[in-house]
Amino acid sequence: MDETTRKDGPGAATAATVIPIIEVDSHGGHVLEPEWKRLPIGPDHILYPVVVGLALFPILMGAAGHHLADDMPDEDTHPFFPDHFWPYPIIAVVMLVTVGLLAFFVQKDLQLEVPADPRAVTVPRPDWYFLFLFQFLKLGPELIMSLVIPPVVFVVFLLWPFIDAIGGPKVARRMGWKTWPVPGRNFITGAGYVIFLAIIALLTLWALAGPQFCLPWIINSPVCGA
Amino acid sequence: MAIPHPREIQLAVVQWLDERYPFTKSVDEALYQRVPNFANAFYYCFGGMVFILIVLQLLTGILLSLYYVPDAGVIGNSPAYDSVKYIQSTAYLGWLIRGIHFWGANILIIMVLIHMARVYWTGSYRAPRELNWMVGIVMLLIILVFSLSGYLLPWDTKAYFATEVTIKIAGSAPPAQLGAFIREILQGGAVVGPPTLQRFFTVHVFLLPALIVLLMYVHFRFIRAHGISEPM
Repeated sequence: MDETTRKDGPGAATAATVIPIIEVDSHGGHVLEPEWKRLPIGPDHILYPVVVGLALFPILMGAAGHHLADDMPDEDTHPFFPDHFWPYPIIAVVMLVTVGLLAFFVQKDLQLEVPADPRAVTVPRPDWYFLFLFQFLKLGPELIMSLVIPPVVFVVFLLWPFIDAIGGPKVARRMGWKTWPVPGRNFITGAGYVIFLAIIALLTLWALAGPQFCLPWIINSPVCGA
Repeated sequence: MAIPHPREIQLAVVQWLDERYPFTKSVDEALYQRVPNFANAFYYCFGGMVFILIVLQLLTGILLSLYYVPDAGVIGNSPAYDSVKYIQSTAYLGWLIRGIHFWGANILIIMVLIHMARVYWTGSYRAPRELNWMVGIVMLLIILVFSLSGYLLPWDTKAYFATEVTIKIAGSAPPAQLGAFIREILQGGAVVGPPTLQRFFTVHVFLLPALIVLLMYVHFRFIRAHGISEPM
């Protein structure tokens, strides 16, 4: 506007001469906790190196993309520090104490057997997390049960997002559903997952029942625990 | 010359960094970015718990490697077995470090499975997070290989025969030449012996930690790029 024609309007004397500009893009488009609500730990505070240490982790992980919180109202969000961060040091201490107590009180599993000797006669038994697989191998031809089915299951898990995205809507259309919900709200994928977990749990329990617990089976009958 | 107050030194360092990199702005962005309230639910902590346990495993693993000798020796005289025995009974707090490593590994597997179940149940693997799901599945596989390779290291009877079975299964892959090749790679000889221990140690201590750290970095970069997934 031309300076000669410009006239101050009513209230100009009390109005702010500089209109604050909120730079939405100054933080990559992210909504940050306003400065007046933050903890008073600035660059001159003795604890600033500590918060810099905390911040280094996300900084090293690269730029944040557009997050869900950026589109949410303030009352539905909270700042990462300290509101979201504070439980993690507590969780870390609780976990350390838990494994420490286990190490102290459950020494049985830590005791060594005699040194390895190929001439020894022993029935091998894997750790608990492989027991289901160990038991599964007994339920059919070894080649199929060990080298066909487990890799296929692994590949299905690996590609699950694509299987769900491509196959899911087709199944939903056939069922007359409007959408293909996430497994937590989906009878098919939810029940499938629970059945999968139940099979693993049953196989583990079967193995844990020991070699004296045998059940009839279509192949290699009877099949006994490990 | 007057000695500057530590606060002045700190301010000078921050200013120096700020002149070369938007340091304070990056720190503010990292610390004060807003997070949805639903992310406070306890089941969103499982991934963080897995991270804490992996760090714990790396730290206790480093401490154990100070005393562990990856040499199977001969029957009746095994430095590997003796070193584990030394850690367990003689080294200062060795029993505790080994116990934490052992139980940490067990709890880690449980936490990984629970974290994976949560991701599956809430559909957090869906677009645009498919790649992160795949990275997570590969990390699960690596953690299982960690357990398998670590199981042999004490070189006791239980470890020996469990590893023999594992190698037998892997070595039965068709065709026979491929199976024999896999067995040779894993075993390093005709039977499970000193070369096997050496190989499992190398994989457990050098290869897998490097891989898991790399994949964790990729996993976190994806999380940082995508943010926390929506609830169901």
